[in-house]
This record gives sequence, structure tokens and C-alpha cells, in this order.
Amino acid sequence: MSVWLKTARLAAFGLALAAVARPAAAEDATVLPDTSRVVAIGGAVTEIVFALGEQKHLVARDSTGTYPEAAKALPDVGYMRALSPEGVLSVDPTGIIALQGSGPKEAVDVLKKASVPYVEVPETYDNEGILERIRVVGKALGVEDKAAALAADTEAKLKAAEARTAGIDKKKRVLFILSMQGDKVMAAGAHTGADGIVRLAGAANAIEGFSGYKQLSDEAIVTAAPDVILMMDHAGPGVSDDDLFDNAAISQTPAGQARKVIRMDGGYLLGYGPRTADAISDLSKALYGDKAAD
Amino acid sequence: MAVQPAAMSPTDSDAAAGDRSARARLAIVLLGLLLAATMLAGLGTGASNASALDLIHNWLTGGFGDAISARDRIIIQDIRLPRILLGTLVGASLAVSGAVMQGLFRNPLADPGLIGVSAGAGLGAIVVIVLGGTMLGPVLAPLGIYALPLAAFFGGLVTTFILYRVATRRGQTSIATMLLAGIALAAMTGAFSGVLIYLADDRQLRDLTFWGLGSLAGATWQKIGAAAPIMVVALATTPFLARGLNALALGEPTAGHLGVPVQRLKYVSIVAVSAAVGASVAVSGGIGFIGIVVPHLLRLLIGPDNRYLLPASALLGASALLVADAISRTIVAPAELPIGIVTAAVGGPFFLWILLRRRGVLDL
Amino acid sequence: MIEAGDVAVSIGAKRIISGVDFEARPGEVVAIVGPNGSGKSTFLKALSGDIGYSGRIAFNGRSLADMKPVEAATARAVLPQATTLSFPFTVREVVRLGLLGGRSGALAGEEGRLPERALTKVDLDGFGGRFYQELSGGEQQRVQLARVLCQVWAPVLEGRPRYLLLDEPVSSLDIRHQLGIMDIARDFARRGGGVVAILHDLNLAALYAERIYMLHAGRLAAAGLPQDVINNSMLEKVFGCRLKVGSVPPGPMPFVLPQSALS
Repeated sequence: MSVWLKTARLAAFGLALAAVARPAAAEDATVLPDTSRVVAIGGAVTEIVFALGEQKHLVARDSTGTYPEAAKALPDVGYMRALSPEGVLSVDPTGIIALQGSGPKEAVDVLKKASVPYVEVPETYDNEGILERIRVVGKALGVEDKAAALAADTEAKLKAAEARTAGIDKKKRVLFILSMQGDKVMAAGAHTGADGIVRLAGAANAIEGFSGYKQLSDEAIVTAAPDVILMMDHAGPGVSDDDLFDNAAISQTPAGQARKVIRMDGGYLLGYGPRTADAISDLSKALYGDKAAD
Repeated sequence: MAVQPAAMSPTDSDAAAGDRSARARLAIVLLGLLLAATMLAGLGTGASNASALDLIHNWLTGGFGDAISARDRIIIQDIRLPRILLGTLVGASLAVSGAVMQGLFRNPLADPGLIGVSAGAGLGAIVVIVLGGTMLGPVLAPLGIYALPLAAFFGGLVTTFILYRVATRRGQTSIATMLLAGIALAAMTGAFSGVLIYLADDRQLRDLTFWGLGSLAGATWQKIGAAAPIMVVALATTPFLARGLNALALGEPTAGHLGVPVQRLKYVSIVAVSAAVGASVAVSGGIGFIGIVVPHLLRLLIGPDNRYLLPASALLGASALLVADAISRTIVAPAELPIGIVTAAVGGPFFLWILLRRRGVLDL
Repeated sequence: MIEAGDVAVSIGAKRIISGVDFEARPGEVVAIVGPNGSGKSTFLKALSGDIGYSGRIAFNGRSLADMKPVEAATARAVLPQATTLSFPFTVREVVRLGLLGGRSGALAGEEGRLPERALTKVDLDGFGGRFYQELSGGEQQRVQLARVLCQVWAPVLEGRPRYLLLDEPVSSLDIRHQLGIMDIARDFARRGGGVVAILHDLNLAALYAERIYMLHAGRLAAAGLPQDVINNSMLEKVFGCRLKVGSVPPGPMPFVLPQSALS
């Protein structure tokens, strides 16, 4: 038999062995019995814990937990999808609250095996998702009342923010540009955080026809004919207004002709957490000025 | 006969006469001790203060004052120990594969990537990362966390196999053709990868980047169970290649004249390297430099005789990777630096330094 | 004995040599001469087992096509034209590679010293610790010859003679070493082995070879004793330039005196 087949057989054998020996997966928790030393994984989770006023329980966060400023003082256990299990265990946690999608799975398995209670927080790009996250974190920390209050408060703010622009018929077309390296424009299509926010602020995504973040051709930019360009602040090398409007395709658009660009902090705009309602309001104000009802 | 100064030790005078085998054997013993030391040190190092000595004492005596906590036990048994073992196997595999490739291509700069295994493994990984959640979801779901390593491993084997077939006519493999075809194949896998990168969302891109930088963090006993047999078998075949690879340095016809079965040598070398490297890349992502720097450094110290170079490369490669792993685990604790960054950051300048120092001796 | 009958070699569609009959007997030095491109190296490659051929080639009665690499390595050793190394082997390590087949024929316990003895034979005494890559072309060629000698140290093994196949063994050597190497070849033959050497220098061939085979455009132009093969008309026909052949003692040994490249 050829040596290739032998190797493949060996791999399959080893795998079968491994599959048989797989450890039992631990169940996810919903409440942390001991909240004295909690690790928050995921920017939104960290933000919610601080919004609930429960930051005294936190002993560490991940690299995406950058708001509020006080969070940065906590030890950083690494990127949420590339966690080191020993690193997390080294801060002696009594519980972990992690955003869905944290990983890798091997690290999460080891943490569960080490009998550290693990609460998973769901992630969706809509209003209900924000509220659910607040409730889940609150329940984990045993402060469901506070969480309900924060959720109600947030819900009211979100509704109000949406209502500001409910009466507007002619929606502005917004082009969210993620980055512009050397004249290559990366823009947000459907099913992105940016798309969600734009629509919540009563505007329309100038891009139709694709989802995710993609590079736009010059023609596509001109066809999209955005009224406003939306960009993130403090995210990588900055693009000055001149650089932006010097781009041949952009200069042909209504946004380019009017030199209309809005810049907002990325975490604020796309965090989908307690501050999102304010971000929506700020964006709609910037888009529609007085036309947005107060 | 040349006159030897009386004060020379036996190994020195042998070396002066061109026989470096005594020195090489000594080096292997020292490297073995180094590896044992590095493994123990690695077991005792980490972001937390879990003490390996306490645990070992616990195992041996069944109790030692303060009982070792369950957390520390998990850290040492389920995190550090599999990582040390995996790091040993991967480091050895990468270094030996580099040395074998250099012997096969008769070039000190050859690395396992030349036979296509890294390109194929990378493509397999990208396919799983980008399409695993969507198009290929149903197919890959039952494999769970093994989908990525399996795809990387078989991707590496398949591309190497294709490359081998392209380069082999009438039972004779042309190494030169393999090199050139490898370039073409790398371009093609690069194109496929490019398309998938284009389709990826930013979370997948981030995953891909981290995979490409390499990490031993995903070491589990299951992964070791799957990958270790392959790597051990591949490593075990290499001593038998040593003499043939030495002769190959004189050129393929001359090696044949000396009685070496050259085609079989090429075939076994290629299979062993693609299996060992494929398995390594599958479980630990892209880790560079070990395959080039370790054999090169050893050639300067003990000479290019593969009978000693191959086992020495295995030992030093393992030690080097374990040291790099210890650094990656502690330098930004409690976070972790991908190990590929450490091997490149240390390996690159180190390589440059040894090249500059020995410019006269090597004929690059 | 090496026997070759009606040997032909083609590379692709091109026929390089055809219809070559050849014999090399133990105790003899046989020279192959001829102009560039006449197929000398190709023929030697066929004898070495490097390339495919049609016809018959047999070593000591055994067909070359049936021999495994190890068997062939026992029967003959090949010296190529030039060898470059990409790795910093020492001279001794290179010479020691000749012992790979393990059939040098030296007595057990002697094998360890063979590299040194071989180096002494090729006048590279004490060179063992030098790096091969640092040597001159001529020195490297002699190192390779030392390796080849190690491979077949005993000219006769288990009653069967062994052969040295040498492809231009003296081309980069000075006159002293040219004679030294050819003396080694003659000594090997005298002790029962056989030598086949491709030579460019007709005078050297005449001096050392018992028989000469002259190739021209892929075919055998002449074969026989030096004085029969090397004469005015044959040389003019094969080499296409004016040469004057005289003879010097002892015996009727021919001696070639170049006149001009123009006819």
C-alpha cells in the first residue's frame, strides 16, 4: 500500500482514539455562585458590568474591553478569540462572563474543566440583543433588579432615539467606510454592525447588494451616491478630509461634493451596549440636525 | 603526516584530521540534557504560579504540606504538560524536516515549504475558517474542533502528493522540477486563499491571522493522541535517510554510484517530511524559522553529516520551540503572544548574526 | 571483465551513440578518446548505469540492467568530471563517503584508516581536516579520486575484479599530478583491477593505456593498441586538424606533435 495511504490511515486511527477519549463537556452556567473575582470577556460585557456599577467584582478583562477608561486598568488576558487558559486561570477567577464567540474552544473547555463557572452572553446586532445581554450579565452577577432597571432605561432611550427619525421620509444615504488604504475603500454592506446602526438612526445604507465588509470599486462608489460618509475615529491610521475627498470616485458623490463626513468613536458607535441609544441619537442629530424630533 | 601539537585533546585532533564524529556525539548528549532541562523548566513556567515541583512531589509522595490545589493540578496536567509534549514533537519535526529538505535539495536554504506542504495546509485551514460556518457547515460540524487540524493536515498531504506526481516521470523524481512546480502551486493556492480571504468577515480574518502566527495554546491530550503517532513515525524514519542524504550531497548520479537507492530516498524523504510538517502545522499553525535556523546552526557546530545532524536537529529544535513557547506564555501575561512571532523575532536576527560571523566558511 | 555490445543511447529523439562494442579486461588500463561531443561521457554514463541504453553491458558476466545499485557499487566506482558541494564537509568526510557501500575490500579494522591512506595516495597527505569547498579544482578532483579508491580499495574482491570508471580524471591537474594519477590507475590495473578512463591528452593515453577506443560522432572509429589507433590519417579524420605522429622508445609508443588547427 502506498505510504500516503498508510499515513492517512494512521491519522484516522489517531483521531478515532481521540474522539473516544473526548472529555465530557461541562454545562454552561447562568448564575455565578461566587462573584468575588470575575473575568469579563468581550467589550460589551465589560461595558455592561461597569454600567451596572458592579465593576468591583472584576479582576481582569480581554483586549476588546476598552470602555470605560477605568477598564483599561484591569489586567488584559488577550484577544477574546485567542485566550490562553493558563493566563485566565492565573488571575484566580471565581467566574467568567464571556461574549458568544470567545475561544478557542480548547481554552474554554479547560476553563470549564477547572470548574470555573462560565456564563455565555449572546450576541446579535439589534435592540433586543442589547437588552438581552444586559439581563444575562445582570443575572450572572446576581443583580437582576439593577439589570432590569438598566434594560428598561436603555430600551426607553433606544425607542426615543428611533422615534427621532420616525417622521423622516427622505432617508439620507450613508456610506460607512471602514478603511481607506491607498485609495482602496472598504465599506460596510448588509449584516454588519455599521449597517444596523445606520438604519436605527433613520438613514439608509448607501450600499445595496452585498453583506459584510468589502472593497468597493470606483463605479460602485459613484453608483451608491451617498449623501454622507460615516467613519470611525481613533481606528488605525487616520484619513484626513482632504485625503477622503481627493479620492476620485468619492468626489463625484453628493457626499463628496458637499464634503459631508461624520466621524464617531468605533466602540461607541458599534459597541451594541448600554451607550448605543446615545450613539444612535448622536448619529441622527449629525445626519438630520433639527429635522430629528427631540 | 601533519604534526599534531601534544596538548590537543582526542576530539580536537580528530577534528583537525577531518573527523568530527566524536564532537558530534558529545553535542548530541549535551543537547539531550538541554532538552530534558527545557522540558522541566517549561513545566514550571507559566502565567500563573502553579508549581510543577509541588505537583511532582505530590505524585511521588502522595502529600506535601499544603495540598496542591485543583486549579494548579489542572494547569499543570491539562495545560502545561500537553503543551510541553506537543512543543517537543513539533519543534523536533520542524527542525528535522528542515534538515532533510536541505539534504534533498542540496541547498542550505531549503525548507519544508518547498514541497508544498505549508501552502496546502494553509489552504485547508483557510477553507475551514471561512467556509466552515456557512457553506461547509453541515459537512464539518460533526468533526467539531478537529475540522481545522484535519483540513490542514490533508491539505498539506494532497498538495505534496500533487507536486510529487508532477515532478516524477518514469519513476524518476526531478528535484528541480519539484522546486519550480512548487512555485506554481504556491501561486495557485495563494489565489484560492485570496478569494476566501476576500469573502471572509473580520472575525474570520482575525482567526486566520492568529492561525498563521502559530500557537501551541490549543494543545490538548486529544490532539496529541491524533498528531503524535504521525510525527513519531515520520521522525523515526529519518535516521535511515541519513547516509543516503550525505551521499546525495555529491549529486544524484554519484549517490547512485555509491549504491544509494536514490529514488526511494527521495520518496521516503518527501513522505516523511510532508507527514511530520503537515501534522505540526495542523495542530499549531504556522511556525517559521525553526526548520532553517536550527540545522544551519548545528552544521556550523558539528558539521553537515546527517547521521548526527538529524538527531541533533530534533533535540535542538524541540528545545528551541519550548523556550519560544515559554517566552510567548509569560512575556505579556496573562495574555499570550503567538509563538510564530517569537520564533521570527528571535530567529531572524540570530540567523543574520550567524551568517555575518561565518561569511568566509560557508559557500552560500 | 566489462563487456559491451552494440550499445546505443538516445536522449529524446537524438541519437548520441550507436553500435559501440567495447571490452575492458582486468589488469588493463583502457582509454576512451575522441573530440568533444563524440559521445565519450555518454558512453561512460551508460557503463556507470546512469542512463538507459540499448544493447548489452555486462560486468564480470552479469548484465548491468539486472544489477541493483548496491551490486553495481561493489563492482565499480565512478569518478565524475567535477563535483561541487553545497555543505561544509571536511575532506575526510567526503573521502569517507566512498565507504558507504561497505564493500571496500579492506580488512576489518583497517577501514578506519582508509581515508588517510587514500589521501596519501593522491598526494593530499594531511588534507583531511580542510574544508572541501576551500580547495582548488584540481585538489577537489583528487579528493574525489581518493573517495573512489576507498570504494574499491581492493582491486579484486571475492575473486572478481573491480573497475575504476574515470571521466577526465586529469583535466584540471598539473603535469606532476597528471602522471601521479595515471600511475595510480596503472597500479590498480596491475593488482588485478580494470580501469576505463576518458582522456583528452592523446599522449597520456598512449603512455598509460594498453588499449584505446576512439569515438567519432557517436560511433566507434577505431579500437586497438595505441600504435594502431593513433596515426596521422585516423587523427586527421577524427579530430579534423593537422597532427604529426612520431614514435618514441620504449617500443613503438606513438607520440603526437600538434601542427595547426587549420587543415
